[in-house]
This record gives sequence, structure tokens and C-alpha cells, in this order.
Amino acid sequence: MTEVTISPVATGSSTRFTRLVSSPRAILGGALVTLAVVSAIFAPVLTPYGPNETNFLAVLQAPSLAHPFGTDELGRDILTRVLFGARVSLLVGLGSVLASLIIGGLIGAIAGYLSGWADTIIMRLMDVIFAFPGVLLALAITAVLGPSLGNAILAIAVVNLPVFARIARAQTMVVRSLDFVEAKRALGFGGWNILFRTILPNIAAPMLVQGSLLFAAAIITESYLSFLGLGAQPPTATWGNMLRDAIGFLELAPWMAWFSGFAIFLTVLGFNVVGDALRDFYDPRTA
Amino acid sequence: MGRQILGRVISLIPILFGVSIVVFLLVRLIPGDPVVALLGMEATPEAIAALRTRYALDESWFVQYFVWITNILGGDFGRSIQSGRDVLSLLTMSLLPTLWLALAATVISLAIAIPMGVIAATRRDTGADAAASLLSLFGLSMPSFWIGVLLILLFSIQLPILPASGYVAPSTNFGLFLWHLILPAITLGTALAAAVMRMTRSAMLEVLQSDYVRTARAKGLPWRKVIWTHAFGNAQIPIITLIGLQFGQVLGGVVITETIFSWPGIGKLTVDAIFARDYPVVQGAILVTAALFVLINLITDIIYTLVDPRMRPS
Repeated sequence: MTEVTISPVATGSSTRFTRLVSSPRAILGGALVTLAVVSAIFAPVLTPYGPNETNFLAVLQAPSLAHPFGTDELGRDILTRVLFGARVSLLVGLGSVLASLIIGGLIGAIAGYLSGWADTIIMRLMDVIFAFPGVLLALAITAVLGPSLGNAILAIAVVNLPVFARIARAQTMVVRSLDFVEAKRALGFGGWNILFRTILPNIAAPMLVQGSLLFAAAIITESYLSFLGLGAQPPTATWGNMLRDAIGFLELAPWMAWFSGFAIFLTVLGFNVVGDALRDFYDPRTA
Repeated sequence: MGRQILGRVISLIPILFGVSIVVFLLVRLIPGDPVVALLGMEATPEAIAALRTRYALDESWFVQYFVWITNILGGDFGRSIQSGRDVLSLLTMSLLPTLWLALAATVISLAIAIPMGVIAATRRDTGADAAASLLSLFGLSMPSFWIGVLLILLFSIQLPILPASGYVAPSTNFGLFLWHLILPAITLGTALAAAVMRMTRSAMLEVLQSDYVRTARAKGLPWRKVIWTHAFGNAQIPIITLIGLQFGQVLGGVVITETIFSWPGIGKLTVDAIFARDYPVVQGAILVTAALFVLINLITDIIYTLVDPRMRPS
């Protein structure tokens, strides 16, 4: 997992920003992310079928004009389910990344600001979470709490917590010794005021960049959980559970496996490209 | 050097302690009675009473943890609810297939990623660089189960030349073992290859701009020697770190790959146990995998210290 560090964005940042948004990869990444978001929001108007609408006269049909991505074993339109599946993926990505960004960011900033024993205890706790392979920890949490969309969001948020905590801590340690923070301290502002009003806004950029990269990872982890039957439960359409269903019909209906996987691939690619472009913008050394 | 390594080993103790607490709490957090979780719904009153005494379940959580960890350290991981077999024997049986798979995936990924990363860096901003970077981005963005399913579609269904599932122990038939290993190892190795290729490219780019590489070239050394001896020799430090970290991630990835290919490793054991609500096995499998993950990170750290002279104490 790539951690992000930033150099102060100084003069010429507006030129660099223009270059960023007009670069081919940012356009490609932005287009793919937009495609996923539009699919999720407008799914009901983009297709005449319902995501769980079965048609036993059209079971396992190959792609055609009526069903461009074909149908599954219950005669459900795969294109419709792929469009609705975007909702679950983006919801889990957004929910888990926001939760881990806010909580992990706060934990890390507090550790970095207080330092000493508080820092040691908090970061050792984060190290313990980091000691588990991410997918395995998410699996264990959902296994214990029960399979559901909410528990998948919670599990992925817990897995990502130490990543944000580490970045927030490192950035806080840099920012807290800068002149403008010293000046606020000299003016008599309290620790919490400095932490929330000065330090957190100044460490937000690298956290958001990391957030965009972890968004991609969260979508993949959610698809793993759904694939194993530990994410949102049927009949809710998710890209992961569509692929799991496809495995039983690989010889009869291979198209069932093509499109949901391709949807995950394109969406994750979009977030990865956008995340890479943002990282290069904030840290030109990595470009 | 020995003291430095010992220091790193000692620093793992609190982490492993924390990991054991998390795994212990997992079963305690399951709604309902942990005895039912550990013995199943059909346990007899005698078995329930015996388990309560054995794990001190009427005592405080502190005492329960102490009893549990003492049992684990003595090799007693409990018994599987489903099969009644000793959990430790299930774990040792499934560990070897997982290690074979993880090793094969790592070898495949390195064989692809390192030459590609070096070529991309030495031919920066050319078509080869763009193609390698694009491939690595694709590799990072493809979920491993989709790669696995596509490989099965192509090599097991369309051109039926490779098996879609199963495992043959290397001691039984080494050729068949390799035959069954190919698809799962490629599936697992793809994401690893993508990450290592990226790191190789960026580490090589940094090293190629250094003074000693410029000096080596100015001395008239052959380009191949400059690349592989001078540049790659130094670029391998961050690459080793990443491989170590990724090898650990591979242990997480095996859960999915082993499920798709019915590979009887620790990942499949974990998933099967989760669905059977076989919590002693879930607990043991997660504990062993996490401990392995921590151990691999330690080995990476030690190799890093051995490879990089700057990390050694003066």
C-alpha cells in the first residue's frame, strides 16, 4: 500500500493543477469514475428492467439487443444488475473510506500532536490491526458480525484505519513544529483548538489523496467479501456476488463472468488513475 | 548486527500479543454463548460443562485469555466442531499447500515484474515504458478472482489444457502438482507482479540518475553491467521491502484464490470454517496466518538490514 507524503504546494500550483486536470490519464480516470457514479445514480432510468426482475423464458441468454450483457440463471438482465451493482460498490467505497479517514485521521493526528505515551499506545494498537492481512481481517470481522452491507463497510473501515492513522500522525508531526502553529500556541490558543482548526485542515490533502487510492482497494475488498457471500446478501446485486453466481455456469453462460468483473476492473482502474494523478500533483517527486 | 536483529525480534512480542488478544476476542464478540460457538448447537451438557472448565469460561476474560493462550502455546488449538479433528493438525495439513502457492506466485511475479520494471526504467518515456506502466496499472486494478475466472474460462473450458481445480501433493506426483499449480499461481501472482514492477521501475529510475551510475558509464563499463550490477544492485533494497510486504498480502489473497481453485490451503480452510461456523478452526487459522504475516515482515526487515549496509550499526 502506498503511503503519501506531500511537499508544500508553492508557486505555479495553478499551472500544475491545469496540467493535472488536462492530462490524458486524469481525463481517463475521471471519465471512468464518472461512468461508475452515473451508473449508480441513474441505474433505474438507464434500463427498462428491475435488478431482481426474473424472466424464466429468458434464462441464460447470450448478449443480444434486448439484453446487451445477456441474462443470468434466473433470467435477470445482467446489464441492469451491473448498473445497480455500482451502487453497492460505491456506497461501500465511500462509507468505509470516509469512516476510516475521519476516525483514523483523528486518531493519528491526536497521536502525532500529543506524542509521548499516548502516541506509543495509539500507534501500537494500529500496528496490531496492521499485523493482519487486510482481506483476512475484513473476512474475520464480517464472519463474526454476520454478513451484511453495513458490516462489510465497518470491516473495510477497520482494515484501513491504521493507514490513515499513520499518515495523519506523520503529517501532524511535521505541521505542529511549523511557525504558524508555534505562533498560535504563543498567542495562547488551546491544544484542541490548534489540532482541529490549524493542524487538521493542513493535513487534509495527503489524507484525501490516500483516500482516493484506498477507495479503489475498498471496492476490490467489498467484491471479495460479496464473492465469498459475506457482503450484501442476495437478491441485492453486487459485482462480487454476480461473479460468484457465474462460476456455476462458466461452460453454459461465460458472459455471466465477463461483465461484472469488467465493471470492477474499470471502476478500480478509474480510482487508481485519479489517485495516482493526485499523488503526483501533491508530491511531484513521485511523478 | 546480531543485537539489531534480536531487537527486531523482541519488538514483535507486543504485536503478537495484540494479535492474540484480537483473535481471542473474535469468538467472544459473536452474539450468544461462546460455548455454543465453540461446540456447535448439538453439544451435550457434559461436553458444555467440560469446555467451560477447560477454558475457564466462568472466570473473568483476563483468566480466560490466560488459559486460552497457554493452551495455544502448548499446541492445543481445540477441536473442529465439524470434523472433530484436532485444529492444529488441520492447520499443519493446509499450511504446506498455501506456502507452495504463495511461493510459486511470488516466483512467477518476480520473473515477470523485475525484467519489465528494469526495461521500463532504462527505456523511460518510450513505448516499452508506457506499455509496462499500463500493464502494471491493469494488474493492480483487476480483482484476482476475475483473473482466476477468466483463466479457467480460457485454459480449462475453451482450450481444456489446464485443470480448473484440485491439488496433488508434490510427493505423490510432482508433474501433476505443477500442472494444478499453474492457474492459481498466475492468478495470485498478477497483482503482486504489478506492484513489484512499479516499484522496480521507480527504484531503478532513481538509481540511474545517481552519480555512481554516471561514473560507471563514464568509465566505459558495458551498459548491461551498469544496469544489473551497479544500478539494480542498489535498486533492490526498496524492491525487497515491497516483496516482503506483498508476500504477506499474498497470504490474504490466498483466501480468494484457494476458494476459486479448490486448493486445500489455509485460505480455503478459513472460508469453509466460516460457513460451517466452525469457530475453533476460524480462530486457529486467523491466528496462524496473522503470525505468519508478522514473521514474514520480520524476515523482510532482517534481509533489508543484511542487503543495505547503511542499515548496519557502525
